[in-house]
Amino acid sequence: MPRPHVRGIVLTFVLLLGLALSACAQQAAAPPAAAPTQAPAAKPAATQPPAATQAPAAKATEAPKATDAPKPAATQAPAATQAPAAKALPKAEGTFTYWGGLIFSDAANNMLVAKVKEWGQARGVPVEVVMINQNETVQRVSAAIQAGNMPDAFDLGRDQMLLLSQQSQLEPVDDVYAAIGKAHGGWLDSANKSTDPKDFGGKIPGIPFGIGGNVLFRREDLLKPAGFTTAPTTWEEVGKQALAAQKPPKTYGMGFALSNVGDANLTTTWLQAWGGRIADDTGKKCTIDSPETRAMLKWVSDLYAAGAFPPGVTTWDGAGDNNAYQSGQAVFIANTGSVSINLQQNDKELLAATKYSAMPKGPKLLVSPQGPNYRSIWSKSKNKELAKDLLQYLADDKFMADYFQNAIYGPVLNSQKEAPVFKTSEVHKGLLDLALNGTPPGWPDLNNAAFAEYQTNFLTPKMVQKIVIDKKSIDDAIKETQTACQQIYDKYK
Amino acid sequence: MAHQARPLAQGQKAQSGLTLHQRNSIFGYALVAPVVICLLALVFYPFVFAIWISFTDQIVGGQAKFIGLGNYIYLAKTPSFQKTIVNTIVLVASVQGLKLVFGLGIALLLNQPIRGRQIWRGLVLLPWAMPAFVAYLTWKLMYAPNGGAFNVMLDLMGIPIQLDFLSRELAMPSVILATFWRGFPFWVISFLAALQNIPQELYEAAAIDGATTWQRFQHITIPSIRHVILVVVLLSTIWTTNGFENVWLLTQGGPSDATMTFPVLSYFGLQSLRIGEASAVSVAMLPVFAMLAFIIVNLLKED
Amino acid sequence: MLTRLTLGQKTVYYSLLVLLAVFILFPIYYMFTVSLKTPRDIYRVPSLLVPNPTTQNYVDLFGKQDFLQSIGNSLLVATAATVISVFISVLAAYSLVRLKYRFRDGFSRLILFSYLTPSALLFIPLSVIIARLGLANTLQGLIFVYLTFSAPLSTWLLMGFFRSIPMDLEEQAMVDGATRLQAMYRILLPLSTPGLVAVSVFTFTGAWNELLLALIFITSPEKRTVPVALQYLITGDTFRWGLIMAGSVAAAVPVMVLYYLAQRFVVQGLAAGAVKS
Repeated sequence: MPRPHVRGIVLTFVLLLGLALSACAQQAAAPPAAAPTQAPAAKPAATQPPAATQAPAAKATEAPKATDAPKPAATQAPAATQAPAAKALPKAEGTFTYWGGLIFSDAANNMLVAKVKEWGQARGVPVEVVMINQNETVQRVSAAIQAGNMPDAFDLGRDQMLLLSQQSQLEPVDDVYAAIGKAHGGWLDSANKSTDPKDFGGKIPGIPFGIGGNVLFRREDLLKPAGFTTAPTTWEEVGKQALAAQKPPKTYGMGFALSNVGDANLTTTWLQAWGGRIADDTGKKCTIDSPETRAMLKWVSDLYAAGAFPPGVTTWDGAGDNNAYQSGQAVFIANTGSVSINLQQNDKELLAATKYSAMPKGPKLLVSPQGPNYRSIWSKSKNKELAKDLLQYLADDKFMADYFQNAIYGPVLNSQKEAPVFKTSEVHKGLLDLALNGTPPGWPDLNNAAFAEYQTNFLTPKMVQKIVIDKKSIDDAIKETQTACQQIYDKYK
Repeated sequence: MAHQARPLAQGQKAQSGLTLHQRNSIFGYALVAPVVICLLALVFYPFVFAIWISFTDQIVGGQAKFIGLGNYIYLAKTPSFQKTIVNTIVLVASVQGLKLVFGLGIALLLNQPIRGRQIWRGLVLLPWAMPAFVAYLTWKLMYAPNGGAFNVMLDLMGIPIQLDFLSRELAMPSVILATFWRGFPFWVISFLAALQNIPQELYEAAAIDGATTWQRFQHITIPSIRHVILVVVLLSTIWTTNGFENVWLLTQGGPSDATMTFPVLSYFGLQSLRIGEASAVSVAMLPVFAMLAFIIVNLLKED
Repeated sequence: MLTRLTLGQKTVYYSLLVLLAVFILFPIYYMFTVSLKTPRDIYRVPSLLVPNPTTQNYVDLFGKQDFLQSIGNSLLVATAATVISVFISVLAAYSLVRLKYRFRDGFSRLILFSYLTPSALLFIPLSVIIARLGLANTLQGLIFVYLTFSAPLSTWLLMGFFRSIPMDLEEQAMVDGATRLQAMYRILLPLSTPGLVAVSVFTFTGAWNELLLALIFITSPEKRTVPVALQYLITGDTFRWGLIMAGSVAAAVPVMVLYYLAQRFVVQGLAAGAVKS
């Protein structure tokens, strides 16, 4: 009988359980006598100075400012003193739930959690804030809508807002939008365009809070020796400089994804910058088959054939450009700024060799899509009034100024433009520029639900893949994509 | 326990007036009930739900309208779907083929009188013990063109090229290799278990009759473990076909759909909240499973 | 075994075994090396070795990320799922093997066929059920779901195992006055130890490793299981490789140790389970 072994296994289980218990014990010990459910979220804000892990612009003089902001939530106990809200708000039904979008900066995430909790204390509302990884928002939201356990309010991107507002899942917030605009010197044009009620069935379904988007990163240390000292202003120049400055297999010029990921929809931007269009002005008929599309595809595929793209771009995941750039392997990348934060922490040398500029022009147009992020209210929430109050509370200038330091977003309100970080950080200067001069999401195409599905199915990058991977002719690739595109658009007729 | 203290001598009648047979029936139902209820609630219902919804135009949060075969017709027309069928078959067939050959080979090896058998067997189980997510992330890192383990090795061997292991030509083999690595231990261990159950006398008798090693393998080993092979093939094929992490983490189905499989395609459908369509992708796999199960269950019955 | 190995056989066998070991261990070794590297070295100094080893990733993982709590959650969920699943599977398998009743064969088949369900889409209907039961965002909900996935396989394997054990002993015990359950508990279960261990190990690892459903059902950070916590080390477009690999090591080691200790039972358990079913 194999008894001793049984003992061994039992012992392992006991050991593992012991480990678990000690883990729990530690957890309980850390914040003294706090209820375990509340402790973990509140703790980081109080104990960990956000400035330490901080963003590009973190100059020593500014750091204290960032630490100030989140503190009140944890230290100031009496909630009543903090509640200037004159309006009589209804009591919360159950716990008020908020899903924030988890972004790269821990500091920014902690600040948002702390701010929502602060609001909860001020209003006497029990809140639960959950940070949701952006990569799985869709699955979570799908499951939660079907199961009827959506949060009261949540962060989301524009594509999702389009799809969800079509299904009447989002509460109209026109009044909140107007009120916030009034209190903060008016919305930026870009914010107004990105919430145009006619895109959403006549109502504004969400409040923008930050503009994401790409900035062009370039390796000056590699470009200078090749004779390029200024930022390229057109995509064709980018291609030329890329070819001239790269030294394969050490470095490759074009660090742009051509795979089935969101980053690769930069190819749709190229298509539009070359003067092509996904669909006509009615947003019903696909118009991919055009000489402009051909020209763009020729440009990309020639560069690919010339070896300007790093190996693997056709299967990169979302972190592909990040990995390639941090490996010192890419001369150019288009990135939202997370790379810069990474370099700040990990590789000062590479950071110093990096310069930033706005997205270049194409032969016909300058397309530099803004990626607004919104906060929305679930249409079946039982706490709509509270949720609206929260959205206004979060638009606080002081809070947002601190938040922008850590998060890589551009402003949406006039009052936010003055935040110091937009003057000191190169990346944030780029984002401010994007917010002021960038183009609305999807533009010049109509950014409707069909366009959103076209983009989430990555049809433009797949069209490029057909040429560079499958070795199909440009004509065949266009024809197949045109058909697939029309199939999608037909679903929304 | 409701059935305690009831003497169960054969043929005896209980106080309640039920026959032994009846009482055993009730007892039987009671014992099997928890598992059956779980299955009905958490497997059967979702299953029916998925099939129903694949015949509707359901979008998350919207009203479902019955559209018959609409989703299937739409899918059949998309080029991705056609590639997906081929890819799924290629992926599953190659991985299972490799697992069968190497699984059996390794099991035979580990069944030899080698030193430290326990250690070797423990070792073989390691990939199976790793979370799939972790295993495939590690493989992804090893395949990386810039500084991944395999390219570093090529470099050390004096081959200064950056090989893209996820290119059109290599993506499928790379996915197959990683999937094989993570999945083969189950086969080895199952085969090993079966090999140990073969009575030594059979081999001894065969040796006396002068059978060669190959003949012994063919006429004793294979027939003796036939049953296990069938069971393992059935279980593992279902797991492998349903596998999502391997393709998703390594290639997202690319490049140019070269590794697009059913679960990944279904996932893309979900990204646009069209759960009707996404369900149709998954349901389309069912006939294949059903056929496989039918064949294997029949083969099992023959034994 | 019939004969001792010849020298030639030995050479061949051991070289093959070494090859096998390299194939199995290399990815695990690589994972370990990356977990000991600084972020800069991971990107800028590609190497199979660790030029400047650091434990910073582990410090961050267990310090900042509340990873211990996730390990605790995973242990709790996996252990509970295992205990409950083995318990109900034993009852079901016993019933399906030792008792005769009308729908017995139907149930056996149901259990096998439940494996055919494509798991990719289960999460939406499952989340509806879990929400209706009021188990959304709870570890209990997760335990409930995991036990459904493990119960069929466990039942099936145990059925094979029970079949391989002759009924005489139990019948003898019942003649001597034991109830059915007593006979099962005292005679059948001790004889089935390897099968029970094998089934427990499978269930435990299945629950320990599961990602997709945990990701959907668990929202609160303090309820995350290990795979979810690992997934959360990927934020947006950034992979913190060092941290992820440190987390992977921490996630994989307990299960690997468990398997290593239990491997003998796993083999025996599968032997009887799969062979006789």
